Amino acid sequence: MRSVEIDPIGERIEAVRQAASAQTLLAATAVLATSDHGNGVNNEAIACLVEVLGFNNPGAAVAAVDGLIALGPEAVEPILESLDPRNYGARAWAVRALAGIGDVRGLDLLEEALASDIGPSVRRAAARGLGQLRLAGLPREQRHPIAARCLEALLAGCGDGEWVVRYAVVVGLEALAPELQPEQPGAPPRGLAQLRSALERLSTDPAEDASVVNLRAALALQRLAPLSAAEGAHG
Amino acid sequence: MAGTIDPDAGISAAGEPITEAEALQRLRQSEDQSQQYYAAWWLGRNRSRHPEALPLLLATLRQRRPRDPGAGVEENAIARNAARALGKLGDAGAIPELLAALDDEDDGLREAAARSLGELQATEAVAVLLRRLASGPAGAGAPRLDSPRLQEPCEAMLEALGAIGIAEPGVITLIEPFTAHDRPLIRSAACRALLQLSGEARWAEPLMQLLDHPQLQVRRAALMDLGAVGWRPALEPICHTLAENSLKLIALRGLVEQGAHHDATIQAGAVLSAMDSLL
Repeated sequence: MRSVEIDPIGERIEAVRQAASAQTLLAATAVLATSDHGNGVNNEAIACLVEVLGFNNPGAAVAAVDGLIALGPEAVEPILESLDPRNYGARAWAVRALAGIGDVRGLDLLEEALASDIGPSVRRAAARGLGQLRLAGLPREQRHPIAARCLEALLAGCGDGEWVVRYAVVVGLEALAPELQPEQPGAPPRGLAQLRSALERLSTDPAEDASVVNLRAALALQRLAPLSAAEGAHG
Repeated sequence: MAGTIDPDAGISAAGEPITEAEALQRLRQSEDQSQQYYAAWWLGRNRSRHPEALPLLLATLRQRRPRDPGAGVEENAIARNAARALGKLGDAGAIPELLAALDDEDDGLREAAARSLGELQATEAVAVLLRRLASGPAGAGAPRLDSPRLQEPCEAMLEALGAIGIAEPGVITLIEPFTAHDRPLIRSAACRALLQLSGEARWAEPLMQLLDHPQLQVRRAALMDLGAVGWRPALEPICHTLAENSLKLIALRGLVEQGAHHDATIQAGAVLSAMDSLL
């Protein structure tokens, strides 16, 4: 006689779907989001976490975003397919999830969010995400155009009206810098000088009312000094 | 907690982008009050340096009227917004009128005026603030019968005393009993002020305990208060607080910008890397 197969993921999805209160939804989402998926990623689990993004329950949405980030690239298509222009909240959480996953398929949404989302916390997440797209696995000829788009979006974000977004732009620029290094000595510059001068402006801007932004930009420049020197010498 | 949870704030935030000239024009007219309301907010938000901003905002502040509980429209909303904006302009010329507003019968206006006088670090305001709070938690801090508010806007007034920074014994003795007030938000404001004025770690302890309070609103207030003081030993507890990252980031910004004089053992760099991980 066979023992009954227990499907813990299935049960956990069911718990999220059955949750009757904000508290139980948060708890059930947190359990599902931290589940070990073993050999294969469970598409139903992804769909369920994506659905939670639209429930207007911030606690549960935070847990679902963490879960989706942990699932990584598998979660990107379901997130993009679920985007609903009429549900602003869900869209904002989707931006956060895509920023954390760092998959290039999220690039369009991240650009759009940094440029025009009304929520500073969404623009903040998008700026961070634009600095940390995972480009390492892509063919060479694709990498640079994508990095250039990220740079352009982040340079425009330097003028954001909210200090926390400018702070995130600085962090994004620092993270993006290695992608902009010339491939070999003597190769044409790829925007590193532009990135550096943007950081220089942010580190000294007298109109900046948040000195923490000045300070963070100065720290980024200090960390990037070796890279910048290399482009200066050859480009 | 620096007026972060301001019921009036959302209305103006939804407005369309306008220019400074347009904001001044909207404030000058008096037919459309919602335009005045937005214009006053706009000038404060953008810290206008236009020479007309101060006189126009002062005129708007004077526009207040005796409260009529029967009237549908809250006339003083515009005067309150003007009072808030005057704190952000950073012009000491606003101090006399704001001082007068501290004795207005509208406690919402007294609250806005107190916060602005704190922002302007107006030492002239200390005597009036002490007078209004002199009856202590059982008087100034007693709940009103007609609303959930207290007799005086204690939170704003205590915070103003901390921000103004006159650490005289009379000020300290007046604030201390408020650290035992029934309401956690008042305790938080009192501890914040005492920590700012004295730099004594014993006032930081209750604030850090409030970071674990069951109510989110209280945890948020404690975050803002530790940030306003710049209390760097609170770095770890702030990072672990159950609240939005947006608020933790504001608090940590305070630790970087205000914190150097409190505790040199936690460097700004450690705070910056904590901020990076909250983005």
